[in-house]
Amino acid sequence: MKKILKLTLILFLISAIVAGVLGVVNEVTKDRIEEQKQIKTAKAYAAVLPSEGYEELELDLSAYSNIDSISKATGGEGYVVKTSFSGAQGNITMVVGVDNDYKCTGISIISHAETSGLGANAASTSDVGVTWRAQFVGQDKNMAITKAGGTIDALTGATITSRSVAEAAANAISVVESLG
Amino acid sequence: MLTNIISISLGAILVNNFIFSQFLGCCPFLGCSSKVETATGMGLAVVFVMGLASAICWVIDTYILIPLGLDFLETLAFILVIASLVQFVEMFLKKMIPSLYSALGIYLPLITTNCAVLGVVLLNVQNHYNFIESVVYGITGGLGFMLAIVLFASVRERVDFSEYPECFEGFPICLVSAGLLALAFMGFSGMKIF
Amino acid sequence: MNIKKQFKEGLITNNPVLVQLIGMCATMAITTTLFNGVGMGLSVLIILTCCNVVVSAIRKIIPNEIRLAIFVVIIAGFVTIVDLLLKAYIPALSEALGVFIPLIVVNCIIIGRAEAFCQKNPIGASFFDGIFQGLGYTVVLIIMCVFRELVGSGKFGTGLIDVANGFKITMDGTGGGIELFSADYGATIMLLPFGGFITLGLLIALMQYMLKKSAKKKEAAAKAVKEGEE
Repeated sequence: MKKILKLTLILFLISAIVAGVLGVVNEVTKDRIEEQKQIKTAKAYAAVLPSEGYEELELDLSAYSNIDSISKATGGEGYVVKTSFSGAQGNITMVVGVDNDYKCTGISIISHAETSGLGANAASTSDVGVTWRAQFVGQDKNMAITKAGGTIDALTGATITSRSVAEAAANAISVVESLG
Repeated sequence: MLTNIISISLGAILVNNFIFSQFLGCCPFLGCSSKVETATGMGLAVVFVMGLASAICWVIDTYILIPLGLDFLETLAFILVIASLVQFVEMFLKKMIPSLYSALGIYLPLITTNCAVLGVVLLNVQNHYNFIESVVYGITGGLGFMLAIVLFASVRERVDFSEYPECFEGFPICLVSAGLLALAFMGFSGMKIF
Repeated sequence: MNIKKQFKEGLITNNPVLVQLIGMCATMAITTTLFNGVGMGLSVLIILTCCNVVVSAIRKIIPNEIRLAIFVVIIAGFVTIVDLLLKAYIPALSEALGVFIPLIVVNCIIIGRAEAFCQKNPIGASFFDGIFQGLGYTVVLIIMCVFRELVGSGKFGTGLIDVANGFKITMDGTGGGIELFSADYGATIMLLPFGGFITLGLLIALMQYMLKKSAKKKEAAAKAVKEGEE
């Protein structure tokens, strides 16, 4: 019995030391991680709909599927919708810019778990990704990939990712349109 | 709610199979699959532990770690929970259900280092699943693992009788067969229930 | 302590992936771009070296019965530190590797080395063991990445090498890589799970072939010497 107590104590002690060290590292990195996240979101917002500021609308979002937040551009340029949905491999979080005529002004993917080199191209900053995302500009709520009768070309080897992104963007626009 | 659960289950078993699409749990998948019988045992043990681990880790994460702002300790806490859970399950089975223990016993210690188990609890957090969704994802993820390992063991029993280049003996030929199975599982990719 | 021998063991004769056959999940999962491969390899190298040193340093004071639990706690600690640092300073890498960074905890390489090497050897040897085993792992990852990336998408160094802005090495994952042929001609299947299994299978087969060949050569040489003596 005494032995078990001693072992437990040692294990507890080591865990406590490790947890303490982690606490310190966390303290050091916490602000920086938060900052990185904010930079990323701010960049995404500015990329889809440039404006001097964004004001989040207070809405009951449970009425809409997959919508995280809707923000109004303070300069009156339109709206930015943040949406999370499932792609081919996992959840995708994306922001969609919508102008006052309910046309898409651009999309930007914040996080995803799609296959590297295929679905991940949807979010990539390389030429492939940039050209692909450019197709969304000017589309309306009826947008779809070519396979589904629309005009958006799917990414090579990533039809499912492309379809999910197009559907989510279309959903975001129709939600904004329903707000009036 | 129900459609959500069905789509999580379908995803975990077929579309995003833990082995063939996420590469979680490859070590026991390759190590414990020489016979269909052992593969079934390992599969059952994994289903059991993954379901339990999902439930317990969800509770710990939601009611202890997050309220205290200790979510950076998730990895450490989860691996400790899994390790002690496996120990506990082993002792429990040994005392209460000896028949099940004799069937699963030897696989249990191996599960601690099975990345599918730690993987499923981390993914539960990442995907913001609620309690029921987490448990469903854990159990069906385990079922997906079991499906994969049993199928693969059947393939391996056949491969043993085939001829292949000498240097492919052992792991390489297994990996090639596993690759072909992964190819078959690609047929499920993109299946969705709305 | 024999550094040269440890170097050879880590990279070739006792390579963690190709010979010890451990730590394969991440090896197959993330080797789709060079960026992922280098990032994962270096993360494992750092964690492995730190864990090796710590385990070796406390090897005489930890009770035998709970050594595995203690190893796991130490490993989880270092993994979380690396995870937090990556999130803060190289977010692109942390995103690309996702759940596979925390999963280094259950990567058998680290616990395997702690159990097999560090609890019997002094700090110095354990330190070099960590470096060389980590290097061996990184080299395998890089070989797999280069092969899969090239065959799959016709590129080299995606995410790591930024050609557009004058051949820079970037760590923010924005580099486009060097295009050797158009992605339209690439066998995208190599980037999917199938490619992971097949590439690793071929690589291990190649390793077994070479090890066997050199073993035969040695045998033949030994035989020749023996015959010469007679």
